[in-house]
Amino acid sequence: MKTAVYTTHNEDETVALGERLAESWPVPVTILLIGDLGAGKTTLAKGLAAGYGGIRPEDVSSPTFPLIHEYGDPTTVYHIDLYRLDTVAEVESLGLDEIFARPAAVFLEWAERFPLLLPKRRIEICISAQFDESENETRRIEIVEVRA
Amino acid sequence: MAATVGPGLVGSLLVGLTYAKSISIVRNIPLIGVNHIEGHLQAVFLEAEQAGSPIEYPALALVASGGHTHLFEMAGPNRYRLMGKTRDDAAGEAYDKVAKLLGFGYPGGPVLDALAPYGDARGLRLTPAKMKGNVLDFSFSGVKTAMLRWSQSHELQDEIDSRRALQRVSHHPSLEQWLAVTPQPTRDAIAAFQHLVVEEMVKRLQSAVEESGARGVVIAGGVACNTGLRQAATERRVGCPVRFATPGLSTDNAAMIGAAAWPKFDRGEFSDLSLRAQPNLILA
Repeated sequence: MKTAVYTTHNEDETVALGERLAESWPVPVTILLIGDLGAGKTTLAKGLAAGYGGIRPEDVSSPTFPLIHEYGDPTTVYHIDLYRLDTVAEVESLGLDEIFARPAAVFLEWAERFPLLLPKRRIEICISAQFDESENETRRIEIVEVRA
Repeated sequence: MAATVGPGLVGSLLVGLTYAKSISIVRNIPLIGVNHIEGHLQAVFLEAEQAGSPIEYPALALVASGGHTHLFEMAGPNRYRLMGKTRDDAAGEAYDKVAKLLGFGYPGGPVLDALAPYGDARGLRLTPAKMKGNVLDFSFSGVKTAMLRWSQSHELQDEIDSRRALQRVSHHPSLEQWLAVTPQPTRDAIAAFQHLVVEEMVKRLQSAVEESGARGVVIAGGVACNTGLRQAATERRVGCPVRFATPGLSTDNAAMIGAAAWPKFDRGEFSDLSLRAQPNLILA
């Protein structure tokens, strides 16, 4: 299990880090983005999508409501958010296995609640924000390569 | 026979599209593919025409829902140009997530809208997002995080617990029941949140009207039901008449797909059976 820790100080740095990280793991790759509301999961996804699919960061928005955003034709990047799903049956109906088998980069938010539905080989990125009175935008980003 | 081709979840799109193709073959009637976002907008145009007061062009069209916040300029019935869109959360998504973190359940956007008039927006200072680049783009992630921080820095656990308990005994609590478990500081925070989100939308509509010389504004999508937005956009005058989808046609529905298909039928824009679902389809 390999781990690494990064610190970013604003949104642009977080996007740039995501873009750099995309060079670390070839597709097919599954990347879990783990963190509280407002931690910066979607911001990091913008950078990763730029790195993997050449997608413009401003075109990557939150997939909470539609559950899955696809980018590229054919799709090179899947950005998935399980925030509003509660049961294994609901998640299974998305057909994630089919997506994991594609030659694409798959980013997942709020997926750590369903470990049995995830590939055994995956990257887990934990993002936390340090909030204080100075409106600090510092993010701690910890990366773990899982090979269960 | 009309069906949605995108944007959306590929599985859902395939179910509808395949069903529509089957009926189209069996009945031998033309097949029309519709963009979901265009459906939201055309529902308002259809209603306006039925009411005998068609919307004038150029027009501005704002689609605000749980999944979209897109602002278009329309030079004519079929001519869309994207002026701005959300870079993170959709407006409706911000409502639903803030409602959940305050213990109002998910999706709870309409509950916040109902409670907002009982608070004083000056009770909590929220700052609008600074937009780099396109100033007509939207960002609602910051205000969502600000509300999370506000809730964490105030001792809200007891009131959040009582709101969750209320939902266990009553599936659709009344306004009075919600008010009984929502102390004044929280009502004020909700009012401040609503004020900021509505302001963000109205301000962009005002600048977009100035920029484009629009003669009509259309607001569609689930957030078109928001009373705060309806009031602000109507009273504050964005510079031209504003039309909202009626509540029944605001949230996702089939009639709006028919409404968007009708002009295509008139123009003879039919598809063959090779029409495929396009999860990431854009309108402009």
